[in-house]
Amino acid sequence: MAVHEVRVTNLPHLEDTRGKNLLYEIKTALHIYSISKIVTAKVYRFEGISLQDVDFLARHLLCEEVFQHYTINQPIIVDADRVVEVAYKPGVMNPEVGSIMKAAEDLGVNGLIAADSSHEYGFYGTITEKEIGLVLSRLLVNETVERVVPEKPDTLVIHGTPGVTETIPIRSMNDDALMDLSRDKLFLNLQEMHAIKNYFTELGRDPTDCEIETLAQTWSEHCVHKTFKSTLVVDGSLKKPLLKRLQEATFNARHPLVLSAFEDNSGVIAFYDGLALCGKVETHNSPSAIEPYGGAMTGSGGVFRDIMGTGKGAKVIASTDMFCFAPPDLPAEEVPPGCLHPHYLLRRVVAGVRDYGNRMGIPTNNGSVHFHRDFRAKPTIIVGAYGIMPAGDARKGQPQCGDIAVVVGGRTGRDGIHGATFSSGEMTHRTIDVNASAVQIGHAIEEKRLSDALLRARDEKLIRAVTDCGAGGFASAFGEMGQKTGVKIHLERVPLKYPGLAPWEIWLSESQERMALAVAPEHLERLLAICHEHNVEATAVGEFTDTGKLEVYYENECVCELEMNFLHHGIPGRTMIAVPARRPGEVKEPDLPGDWTEVCAKIMGDLNVCSKEPIVRMYDHGVQAGNALPPFGGVSGGAPNDAVVLAPVLGKKYGAVISHGMNPVLNTIDPYAGTIWAATEAVANAVAAGANPADLVLIDNFIWPYPDEESLYDLDQAVDACTDFVRATGMPFISGKDSLSSTYRSKDGSVIKIPPVVCISCFGRVEDVTATVSTDFKRTGSPIILVGKRDVNRMGGSTYFNITGSYTPGVPLVDLSVLPETLKAIYRACRNGAALACHDVSEGGLLAALAEMCFGGDTGVDVVIPEGCRPDYFLFNETAGCFLVELDDRVDAGELFGGIPYLTLGQTTNTKVISVSQGGKKLFELPLEKLLYAWQKPMKEVFGG
Amino acid sequence: MKPRVCILRTDGTNCDAETFYAFEKAGGECALVHVNQLRDGAEKLSRYQILAIPGGFSYGDDVHSGKILSVELTSFLKEQLLEFVDQGKPVIGICNGFQVLVRTGLLPWGEPGSIRVTLMQNDSGRFECRWVNLRVEKTNCIFTRGMEGAIVQYQVAHGEGKFYTDEKTLQDMEQAGLVVFRYADPATGERTQTYPHNPNGSLHAIAGICDRSGRVLGLMPHPERFVETHHHPNWRRSYIAEPHGVPLFRNAVAYVIKNL
Repeated sequence: MAVHEVRVTNLPHLEDTRGKNLLYEIKTALHIYSISKIVTAKVYRFEGISLQDVDFLARHLLCEEVFQHYTINQPIIVDADRVVEVAYKPGVMNPEVGSIMKAAEDLGVNGLIAADSSHEYGFYGTITEKEIGLVLSRLLVNETVERVVPEKPDTLVIHGTPGVTETIPIRSMNDDALMDLSRDKLFLNLQEMHAIKNYFTELGRDPTDCEIETLAQTWSEHCVHKTFKSTLVVDGSLKKPLLKRLQEATFNARHPLVLSAFEDNSGVIAFYDGLALCGKVETHNSPSAIEPYGGAMTGSGGVFRDIMGTGKGAKVIASTDMFCFAPPDLPAEEVPPGCLHPHYLLRRVVAGVRDYGNRMGIPTNNGSVHFHRDFRAKPTIIVGAYGIMPAGDARKGQPQCGDIAVVVGGRTGRDGIHGATFSSGEMTHRTIDVNASAVQIGHAIEEKRLSDALLRARDEKLIRAVTDCGAGGFASAFGEMGQKTGVKIHLERVPLKYPGLAPWEIWLSESQERMALAVAPEHLERLLAICHEHNVEATAVGEFTDTGKLEVYYENECVCELEMNFLHHGIPGRTMIAVPARRPGEVKEPDLPGDWTEVCAKIMGDLNVCSKEPIVRMYDHGVQAGNALPPFGGVSGGAPNDAVVLAPVLGKKYGAVISHGMNPVLNTIDPYAGTIWAATEAVANAVAAGANPADLVLIDNFIWPYPDEESLYDLDQAVDACTDFVRATGMPFISGKDSLSSTYRSKDGSVIKIPPVVCISCFGRVEDVTATVSTDFKRTGSPIILVGKRDVNRMGGSTYFNITGSYTPGVPLVDLSVLPETLKAIYRACRNGAALACHDVSEGGLLAALAEMCFGGDTGVDVVIPEGCRPDYFLFNETAGCFLVELDDRVDAGELFGGIPYLTLGQTTNTKVISVSQGGKKLFELPLEKLLYAWQKPMKEVFGG
Repeated sequence: MKPRVCILRTDGTNCDAETFYAFEKAGGECALVHVNQLRDGAEKLSRYQILAIPGGFSYGDDVHSGKILSVELTSFLKEQLLEFVDQGKPVIGICNGFQVLVRTGLLPWGEPGSIRVTLMQNDSGRFECRWVNLRVEKTNCIFTRGMEGAIVQYQVAHGEGKFYTDEKTLQDMEQAGLVVFRYADPATGERTQTYPHNPNGSLHAIAGICDRSGRVLGLMPHPERFVETHHHPNWRRSYIAEPHGVPLFRNAVAYVIKNL
């Protein structure tokens, strides 16, 4: 059947914003200046309909003559020096195709068999082959999912016949053969391979590919968290597994709000009016490293489904994103082979988070971006989501024998196969080539309608249990749901994107936007009707049994029969050894700055301090109309707040607060202190906004290098820090995740360990959102109080030391005996209106916090530094858990803050400067305009605007 | 009797709950109606007195923003829509809803199938989420009665919001007084082409338009995101007598009570 093409582009007199932006990126990221103009066009292809119908679609669907024109089966960019078409690879689902097919049908065009869409770029200028190659490989084509279209395709239909189920002769394999089987695919160690071999030897048969793959994903680090469950020998002494320690700390905290901790897809706490809040934070490093746009999208989509699949289903109300990259201006030759440039990664990851969250209508309103050279081999991509549900639905039901196993949402394709096992492996120069199938493009609208349908079904009490199909696909979802009963699945019933999948591929596919349900038989019909009304595909694919077995059939062939007990408990326990790491570093302290303005501008412009506003502006952070404290505010709208406060139930005054803390630089020096810093920072952010510390809970994320003995020692330290923090503050961890694959191994065997990241997220409830506080100074003449105990001479890992090339092993320590009272005092000051503005001290120190408060209030400040301390250390120290408070001048600071360390620092002024004096002598005056410029510049350069 | 408001939704609609709330707060009685329910006859537009098409990414904004839903509405619900408008019932499209109204042809001239104006990709090439100042023009739009001449602040959140049309249509629209909202400079209150106060590069700083009757309104900014004082990013530092989105919804409800 003939394929017809429609090309659409803007009328020649109109600006091509897509082309303009690409040109900007080519100049700023690639430093190629030979292109004068880029014109873009959209290409649509249709198979199965006549030329007349194609023209009809062009006029009524594809092209709007107000600003566009089109051609059929003809080029449209005719005078460019070079035209390149970029499309998704065949088999990668193009989310737009479904809409095109639907609209064609709505318009009465029948017979359309297949359609596709892609983009064409026309380059004008004296661009060389080498340059075009760079533009394609670095900016336009991600070979994991995209390709340059060489010529018009003969057909758009993907053909294929189902693959067969193969038997793996594991019983006859020696150790070498076992490890060959594991490498690049299963990522299991020899001990685990032996356990599998022994199991099948006892059964007297060899496993199918389906069985091997099921075991590999269920036993993957990603799914089972082997390291966190291992017994540890730390520096010679035996210690409990990391996970156990975290869980015990939470249990011992006996926090009254906790409804569910560490047992569901997210942690759940009580909210108000019989409602509950839940939170989950995930990493998506490996996929994002090789396909940042798709990886970030599927990261967001996955964590949203974790919320949707908590208890009997929750509504997602917020999304957060925390990233770590190498500096965007890293010279291209320093990017390790097989890795992508950080400038590209940053822009594409942001685009992925943007496109998924915005389309699904989830406000992305808390996050941060961190930079360190050692992230050049692998970025850290952390995405969080928070939800709301009736407290009565906060716990899953237990599937019963006879319940129907239902798959809802997107269709199953070859996407993301081996995602779970791949995420558990190290990144190497081979990663991009071997694991291309591990990434796909997310489809936010599929997930949105799925969410709409599921919430309706939940409210009609049709759902016994629900979980998302994430890593490991059906194998993981049904394997877990049926763990206590048994389940039998018929794979031929699963709706597929295209034919040709082998049974094991259907079973393991990680196609996005799918969820698994257990539904009592009497509710099935109603459930299917609700899904139908929401344009959501829902299919009964099996039933829960009482056999204690995972049974999978394809037509009449049994492709998998595993005992649940072996699947979930057969993995050999591990004891792992941890030994202290040496941290070399030559002590070097800086001299006092000569030019204070220059140094302060450098601090404000440091990548870890600078404004991230251009990123936040691309996220729809206002959808759902919940904001009571947005990410940015103040006079010009550009001053960052510490946390986000949402009033998610419209018309009610109570709210949710969300914040986080992390500092990878500190962890490279002292993982214990760095982790305490992160937890303190997370909590301080929430409390600075006016949250009650008694109503806050925590989520941990450890993103660590592959746990060799030294890295494991660091990890052990970080976990000890977490549990110490719980004991000191009473705030429990209720959810968490570890990703222990941040190691890059190159062809020549050299290793890059990515800085260990601990991200601590904090969320909780707020009784009255109108008693919360923003960071912008509100008045002139107000006293500014510095509250909290600072460790002012420990400057290791600070921004100041970074820009001056200094080093000491002493990073700031948070005094956990003082912190709880400090938090309570800040909360009181916010609650009773005494605090007009409040900001916690973090990267960039006191100076950065003061400057941001000034930007927001369009005010200046007079600051007096206590005598006897180094003014630079005083201004730039980054001890967490300290706060700047603009106090109502009618309030006595002593009454509010008596008993905890505090200091009256100065007052707000109507000047445009930060004026600093010490010992009665003015030290310097900083023009705010200069600081603002330096602070806003870096991200404006990356993102434009 | 409370006026009944149909909040139309489909795959990818995502501002329906807050639009629902804004109309309820203004005295309407709202129902979330899926376009499938209208197509299969389970629901009818004629049961309602106000139609609201909320923001979001209907069908992913594939091909053009709001396009697929526009095609669906003009293919299957053209008569119902025309009847609704002809009966003098108010229609509002916010953000994606505005894009839909334009692409059905209901705005500006009330001619289904005839697309005369468009909302293009923002000049910045980016999705923009920020608060803007809007000047409310003097028109016969029933949604903005009593607001004429005021500067209001709403949030915009869109990637395709640049109002564009040919010179003649633009003149005709200006002459007919169809421009209801324009992006304004915060200092002067005058219309502006300067980014980011005009966040998308719209011609004549147009942020919202109505039809000749004044009863069909489409706008890119989100009035439903400012119906509580705490919705404003700077409510802590400014006195807000009434959230700026409230009168828009109240006017529509009042209009129905008085005229229908």
